Amino acid sequence: MSDTSRVVQIFLKRPMIRVALVLSVLSVLVASHLRITLSRLGDASSNLRVITQEAWPPDFSVVTDRASWAYPPCELQTDWMCSPAVVGMTQTLEIAFLATILGMVLSLPLAAASATNLAPPLMAQSIRQLLAALRVLPSLIWALIFVILVGIGPLAGVLAMTMYSVGYLGKLQYEALEGVSREPLEVARTMGLPRWQVARFFAIPEAANSLLSQMLFMFEYNVRHGSVVGLVGAGGIGWYMQYYLEPFKLYDRVLALIIVMYVVVIAIDQVSLRIRRRFIEDEPMRPKWKQVFLPWTDG
Amino acid sequence: MSEQILSVNSAAIGFDDAEPLIEGVELRLREGEIVGLTGRSGIGKTTLIRTCAGLIPPLSGSISFAGAPLAGKARGEVGLIPQRLGLIQHQTVGYNVLMGALPRAKWYQSAFSLPSAEMRESTRNAVEAVGLQDKILTSVNSLSGGQQRRVAIARAMVQSPKLVLADECLGELDAETAKGIINLLRDLANDGTSILIVDHNPVRARTFCDRVLQLRGKRLVELGDEEQDATPPLPVLRRPEQ
Repeated sequence: MSDTSRVVQIFLKRPMIRVALVLSVLSVLVASHLRITLSRLGDASSNLRVITQEAWPPDFSVVTDRASWAYPPCELQTDWMCSPAVVGMTQTLEIAFLATILGMVLSLPLAAASATNLAPPLMAQSIRQLLAALRVLPSLIWALIFVILVGIGPLAGVLAMTMYSVGYLGKLQYEALEGVSREPLEVARTMGLPRWQVARFFAIPEAANSLLSQMLFMFEYNVRHGSVVGLVGAGGIGWYMQYYLEPFKLYDRVLALIIVMYVVVIAIDQVSLRIRRRFIEDEPMRPKWKQVFLPWTDG
Repeated sequence: MSEQILSVNSAAIGFDDAEPLIEGVELRLREGEIVGLTGRSGIGKTTLIRTCAGLIPPLSGSISFAGAPLAGKARGEVGLIPQRLGLIQHQTVGYNVLMGALPRAKWYQSAFSLPSAEMRESTRNAVEAVGLQDKILTSVNSLSGGQQRRVAIARAMVQSPKLVLADECLGELDAETAKGIINLLRDLANDGTSILIVDHNPVRARTFCDRVLQLRGKRLVELGDEEQDATPPLPVLRRPEQ
């Protein structure tokens, strides 16, 4: 046996190499099935050059000039406070806030009813299926549905994000509730308390840190996706981006809006991460709302 | 003659898919009686306690509570103090103790988290009785092991059940703290509550229990006076000579 074939044999004996080879072959096959070719990437680079030329430098008049066409109308006197960036970002945050609160209120009872340690198996399985069905559609599709149902505007955004939040938060919450210690629940059951009281007074308080952390995570998620649902008319900064994209193709203004959104999302992520770390990683403690809104305080 | 609170008749204890851990269990508890349960680790003491609490059905035989089947017990009549106490770690001492009063809350009081004046008063009294009045707003996870045990006992006091099932609530405590906990249990029993308590230390158990039962093999036996006296004292660990 030649040295080369011996090296190949030794090489193929390693499981990681075999797995990598199989995955590489599969990837090539899938790419060819999807008709993905490198020449298409060449076209993309020329399009990218055009967009870059038109988008750079970003036009920050979207932060300073009044958007007289804003919906709902902005009635403040200061122009920058009624600019597309400020109005759009504020709407996105408001949509995310409302959707997170509504999502939390609706998902918590559903999660308690689908946790196997709190609910009868049949009920738990049925509600899990409902939550899974809500997660099947991404928030963008929910937004399309609600734009058709209730028309263009923030209401469609709030409803779309709420539906997705219920499905997503519900799953995170029932997993958190199933992870609580068995003993407090047994104390409650020995007392003879009904299931809803076991959940309300024992399981939910025991899982409070995780539940609060998940709610903050959902708010972050909803802020990020608030821009996407706006693209189909469901309000928020995405709606203002769409206004500039079609039919005007004002890429410089869209880029400015993207930069504003990026800064806000990064700021929210950082604040949220800090708060969530306090709940999850630090010494376990009773969550205080003061720490949620004023994370820099010690109390 | 005092009322019989718990009666376990010819019961086999264990889990569905396994061999019974204990067979032919005969156990009677009278009102205000403290019964100790001893035995080596893993022999089935906790499983017996959980079965008496109605959390695991007996494989055979029956368990009755105050003359009726255990499943029909009224809300709040049985209290459990598990080995790890079952406290809600992120909540305060006051919240945990108040939970003992939950079985007698009306639906709207629990639905809207509005405890009655009586519930708040009994919580305050129980917290005072266990000497934690200055910790009522402290998270239980910042308390010592002994203090946490006192919170669990205060919760049982507020519940004022007919029967308390306590699983190793004296474990890993120094003698002084254990004595304080024993006094609290004794007070509970003096108020008419029956207590079945697991204690791995038979010497200590016989100092405060009216009777001591021991799990031997798959049998539950009652230690007679002579046997109890003959129980060897716990070994004293000595530092090896240098």
